[in-house]
Amino acid sequence: MSPAVRLCITGASGFLGRHVVAEALKRGHEVWAVVRPAAGLSHVNWLEDPAVHIVRADLRRPEGLAEAISGCDAVLHLAAAVGGELYTQLAGTVVGTENLLKAMQSAGIRRLIAVSSFSVYGYIGKWSHSTLSETSPLETRLDERDDYCLTKVLQERLVREVSGREGWALTVVRPGVIYGRDHLWTACLGAELGERTWIRIGAWAKVPLTYVENCADAILLCAEREEAIGETFNIVDDRCPSHRGYIRLLRRRISPRPRVIPVSWTLMRLVCRCAWISNQLFFDGEGKLPSVLVPARMHARCKPLRYTNKRLRKTLGWSPRYSLEEALDRSTRDMELPA
Amino acid sequence: MVETGIEPATLRAAVIGAGPISAEHLRFLKHSPAAHLVAVCDISESLARFGATRYGADNSYTNHEAMLEREQLDVVHVLTPAHTHCKIAADCLKAGTHVIVEKPIAPTNEEFRMLAAMAQWQKRVLTEDHNYRFNEQIRAIEALRDAGSLGEVREVDVRMALNITDADTGLADRNVPNPCGTLPAGILHDLLPHLCYLALRFLPSADEFAVKWSKHSEHPSFTYDACDALLIGGGVHARLRFVSHEWPDCFTVIVRGSKGTVETDLYQPYMKLLVPRRGGKQLTPLVNQWVNGIGLAKSSVTGFLNKVRRRTPLEGIQTFLVETYKALRTGAPVPVSYEDMDRTTRLMDALLAEENQI
Repeated sequence: MSPAVRLCITGASGFLGRHVVAEALKRGHEVWAVVRPAAGLSHVNWLEDPAVHIVRADLRRPEGLAEAISGCDAVLHLAAAVGGELYTQLAGTVVGTENLLKAMQSAGIRRLIAVSSFSVYGYIGKWSHSTLSETSPLETRLDERDDYCLTKVLQERLVREVSGREGWALTVVRPGVIYGRDHLWTACLGAELGERTWIRIGAWAKVPLTYVENCADAILLCAEREEAIGETFNIVDDRCPSHRGYIRLLRRRISPRPRVIPVSWTLMRLVCRCAWISNQLFFDGEGKLPSVLVPARMHARCKPLRYTNKRLRKTLGWSPRYSLEEALDRSTRDMELPA
Repeated sequence: MVETGIEPATLRAAVIGAGPISAEHLRFLKHSPAAHLVAVCDISESLARFGATRYGADNSYTNHEAMLEREQLDVVHVLTPAHTHCKIAADCLKAGTHVIVEKPIAPTNEEFRMLAAMAQWQKRVLTEDHNYRFNEQIRAIEALRDAGSLGEVREVDVRMALNITDADTGLADRNVPNPCGTLPAGILHDLLPHLCYLALRFLPSADEFAVKWSKHSEHPSFTYDACDALLIGGGVHARLRFVSHEWPDCFTVIVRGSKGTVETDLYQPYMKLLVPRRGGKQLTPLVNQWVNGIGLAKSSVTGFLNKVRRRTPLEGIQTFLVETYKALRTGAPVPVSYEDMDRTTRLMDALLAEENQI
C-alpha cells in the first residue's frame, strides 16, 4: 500500500477509533471517519483536520453507506456494540458488519482490517499459565459466554466468510485489554464496587494490556503493510503486568486511592463451581447468574495465562511506542493527546 | 380430533422478523410439540441465520415472498416493525397461512378490517399478540372478576411508565429513528395497544372519550411521549396513562369494583387485593393489610426467582402461543378474537380522533 491512502475508519468516535483516526492522520493518510448520526464529537482533536471527512452514518442502516465510503482504498472496521442486550449487540456488531461488507462490495473496496477481540478465544479449556496466541482455539461454548463474546465471534466469522468468498485482502486484529485515559479499569481485574472500592480477583495472573495509542499504531501498521494480508494478529504490549502489579501502578496515580479487596483465584473458581452445580441442580442449568459466577465467563476474565505479541513483532516489526509507565502517565497526567 | 384420540397435526411454522421479540416466539417454536420451525426470515441475513441456528429452524431467508413460495407453511409469525405488518400479513394470508401478528396489527381500524376480511375470504386465522392479557396477574384479576369477588366493575386504571426518552436505544434510538414513528401516534402507537386491550377486558364499551397527548421531551423521534385518556362505557370509567419521562418503569393495572379493588404491576409482579374479610367492617382493613403484606413479601422472593429463571414480563407470550396453537390445531376459536382486535384498533382510532382531544 502506498504511503498515503484513503482509509475508511468505522467507530471513529469511539475510544480506540479516535486514536486510530489520529494515528492515520499523523501518518499522512486521508480519513473517512464513520460516526453515528447523533454522536457528539466535542471530545476529538482531529475534527478540523482537512484530511478528515466525517461520514455521519449508522452501520445498522445500509442506505447510502456504499456511496459514503466509495473511493476509499481500505476499511478499518472498529465499530461494535460494547454493551446492551443481546439484540442490541447483534444489531450493532453483526448486522452493522453485514451492511458494511455489502457496502464494500458495492463500492469495490477489497482491503479490510477487521478489529476483533481477545474475547473470541475459548478460555475454560486452556491450561492455567499456558500461552494464548493467534492459534489458540476460538470459543465454541458460546451459550455460556456473554453477548459481547457471541457477537464478536459471529462478526469475525462473517468477515472471514465474505472476504474469503470475494477474494478480499483481509487482516484480523485481536487487541487485548485496551486502556488509556478514562479507561483504566478492566473487568479482567475483578469487579468495581462503587467508585472507591475494587475487588481484585487473583494476584499473579497477567493482564493482556495494550495502550490505546500503541494499539492504534499496530492497526495502522497492519493497514499499511502487505505482509499483514491474510494474517491474524493479537495486539498486546510487551509488558503485561500482574493484577496486583497493575492495580498498584494505578493506585499510585489515582486520587483518592480506591480500596482494594483481594479475592484469590482458587477461591473464586470454587465459588463459581458451586454456583454452576447449584444452577444445574435447581434451575436445570438455565438460571441467570452474574458473570463472576459463570465459570466460562470467569475464566475469560481472570484466568492466569501468558500472552504474546511475537507474531506481530516478527511479521511487521511492531513494537509498542509507549511503555506501561509512560502510557499510564499519558493517561493520568494533564497533557494533550493526539485524539 | 381430541375426542377421537387422533393427535392433531404439528403445524409448520415460520417467523418473519428476527429482532428482539422473535426470541420469545422462537423459544416457543423450538420447544413446542405443536409446531415445527421451518424457517426464520429477516432482511438481515446474519439475524435470520442466527435465529435459525439458535432455535433449530430448517432454513433461513432474507425475502419473505421467496420463503412463502418455497415452503409449505401452516402458520407465520409476523414480527417485523409495526408499519410493515399489514403488507406482510396480507402476503402470508394470500399464501394460505394462518397469521400471528405482533401488536399493533394495523395502524387503523380500517386497515385492520381489510386484513380481517382477507383472512375470512382465505378461510385462515388472523390473530394479534395481546401478550400481557396472558400474564398470570391479569388472569388472576379476571378470575376474581368472574368469581364475583370484586362485585360490579366500576373503574379501571392502566398506567405504563417507561423511561425511554432519556435512553439512546430501542424505541428511542437517536441514530436509527424507530420506523414506528411513522404511525399515527408515532412511537407510542407501538405501546398503547397494550393499555387498550387490557382496559377493554374490563370495559363493556367505550362510548365517551377525553384524551390529551403531550410531549415533554426534546427527543426528535417522538411525536408524543405521553398520553392521558379517560373513557366511559357501560357504566365503567377507565383511565389510561402512558408516560415516558418518569421512573421507575411500571405497568400497573387497578380494577375497582362495587365490592373490592385489585391492583398489580406487571413489571414488578405483586397482587394487592382489598375485599371484605372475615372480621367484619372493623377488622377488614387490618386483615387486608396483613394479607397483602404477606403477599408482597412472597412477591419479592418470586421476583428474585423470576430474575434467576429468566422469566420476564413477556412471559405471557408463551401462554398466548400455547393457547393459539392449540386452537389452530383443533379448530377452536383463538384466544385473541376478531372482536378483540377490532375493539382495540377502534379504541386506538378514538384516542387519536380530533373530536376526542382535550
